Amino acid sequence: MDRSLFRLTPSGSTGLIFAALCFAFLPMLAGSYWLSVLTSAVIFAMATSGVAFMYARLGMVSLTQVGLMGIGGWVMLRLNYLFDWPFEVNMVLAALATMICGWILALPALRMRGLYLALVTLMAAGGLEILFATYQFPNGGEGFWGVKIGSSDPFRRPWLAQTPEAYLRYCIVIATLGFLFIEGHRRLFPGRAWALIRRSEAAAMAAGVNVTLYKTWAFGIAGAIAGASGALLAGSLGLLDDGTFRASESIMLFALAIVGGARFWLGAVIAAVLFRILPGLLNTWGVDTDLALVIFGAGLLHALITAPNGIAGQIHDLVARLRGGKP
Amino acid sequence: MIQIDAVTVRFGGLIALNEVSATLTAPVAGIIGPNGAGKTTLMNVVSGFITARSGQVLVEGQDFLRLAPHRRAQKGLRRSFQREQIADDLTVLENVLVQTDWSLTGARAKRAEAMEMLAVVGLADHAHKIGGALSGFERRLTDVARCLVGAPRLVMFDEPAGGMSVEETDRLGDLVLQIHGLTGAQTVIIDHDVELIRRICAETLVLDFGRRIAFGPTADVLADPKVKAAYLGTEEVTA
Repeated sequence: MDRSLFRLTPSGSTGLIFAALCFAFLPMLAGSYWLSVLTSAVIFAMATSGVAFMYARLGMVSLTQVGLMGIGGWVMLRLNYLFDWPFEVNMVLAALATMICGWILALPALRMRGLYLALVTLMAAGGLEILFATYQFPNGGEGFWGVKIGSSDPFRRPWLAQTPEAYLRYCIVIATLGFLFIEGHRRLFPGRAWALIRRSEAAAMAAGVNVTLYKTWAFGIAGAIAGASGALLAGSLGLLDDGTFRASESIMLFALAIVGGARFWLGAVIAAVLFRILPGLLNTWGVDTDLALVIFGAGLLHALITAPNGIAGQIHDLVARLRGGKP
Repeated sequence: MIQIDAVTVRFGGLIALNEVSATLTAPVAGIIGPNGAGKTTLMNVVSGFITARSGQVLVEGQDFLRLAPHRRAQKGLRRSFQREQIADDLTVLENVLVQTDWSLTGARAKRAEAMEMLAVVGLADHAHKIGGALSGFERRLTDVARCLVGAPRLVMFDEPAGGMSVEETDRLGDLVLQIHGLTGAQTVIIDHDVELIRRICAETLVLDFGRRIAFGPTADVLADPKVKAAYLGTEEVTA
């Protein structure tokens, strides 16, 4: 076993402590509205980690992440109403189904880079948006699509997390596992291959790296993370709406991943805070939530002009400077 | 032994390589020629980044042109580029380990081999230094160490001495001379530094405008009037 896999870095231990503190105290601090907002934020932090990982490790821009979440949510709801399986089994199957969709999406995108890859993934997100709007999400109906008119059948939450507080804690644990899953990959041979691919595909091939395999692998991981996030979102809300999975949301999530800092776990958390908690705050204060879009735009300009590693990168540099080292 | 047999490459109307043939048998062989002669194109054909219109390349009897680039690397082909390709966010050791990650050899053995080759190039103390913190020469040495791991059969360097000081070039030349003894691999090197080629290459292929103009023992090749003409021109310039 590679010992470097379990090496605890200062950033990693800070992340685990942060997750533990959130697990312990976050559910106690919030009412029912904020529990819902915080759960959503945790789920989107996990989804952001997938898209940020693709960008930070391979330089690939995927604008389908929220659409893939929709696939995960759809599979989760369908399995929930079809079978009496535990939540965890349905969630894993949803993640696997979305991973396969991620692979299928990767096939035409493998030969593309940069803007062209972004456009292909955006078109896929647009296609998924149309599918979700046309066929809606299962709510206990009959047939393949499982949609019926009227109220939805009840959704089964995890046995361990029947209350909103427990479900928030459950999501924090799954999201932490998702982050660790990506970090584990980064530290082992796939991470090395991705780093070299990002540097130069030719150099990676010259080093014996099967570029197609590793790119597909990355799409699969991002897909699985998105699928699990979608499944958790379905568990949080009990039903899903096509408006949640618009292509524009995928663009927003990617942009916020850049603002937060794609190379850092904290970046995904910052992105999720901006994506879910900031509009919640504005709503609570009685301010138009569209103001959040203006703030996102300013944040993106800030990141593009002055902070290529995002807000998390700036925090990282600041901490390094305070410790007396080089940023 | 590398057998290059009538390799032709065309880019539209431009003939980059015109039926180039040579059988390289020396432990260290050189390829020289003026800019645009087709040296890197030939290296790209051997490593699989450019498809030859016709011809054959055999490395120890195996037809390499049929293999995908990463499969050629797995069969023992090593290649460094004009600009050294080191991932800035990986450590020196990780940059070397990438080369053998595909193999089923145990992780401990691969790590030991990588450390051994880092010691050969003089970077063992820097094994855990991040790539982004290396000097240009250290990056080149990391590139060389990566070429030495995983039982290489053919190592190709494309202008490795570019931008280096005389001392660094000498050290690099010494390292290249060790490769055959260390790994059994044959080395092919492209460089504009004729003194380096003269010192380390037993045989040399000279290309000009995509054609082979000379091939043989380096001393003979460098004395060839056609080679001198290709490098220096033939017309006298009068004031």
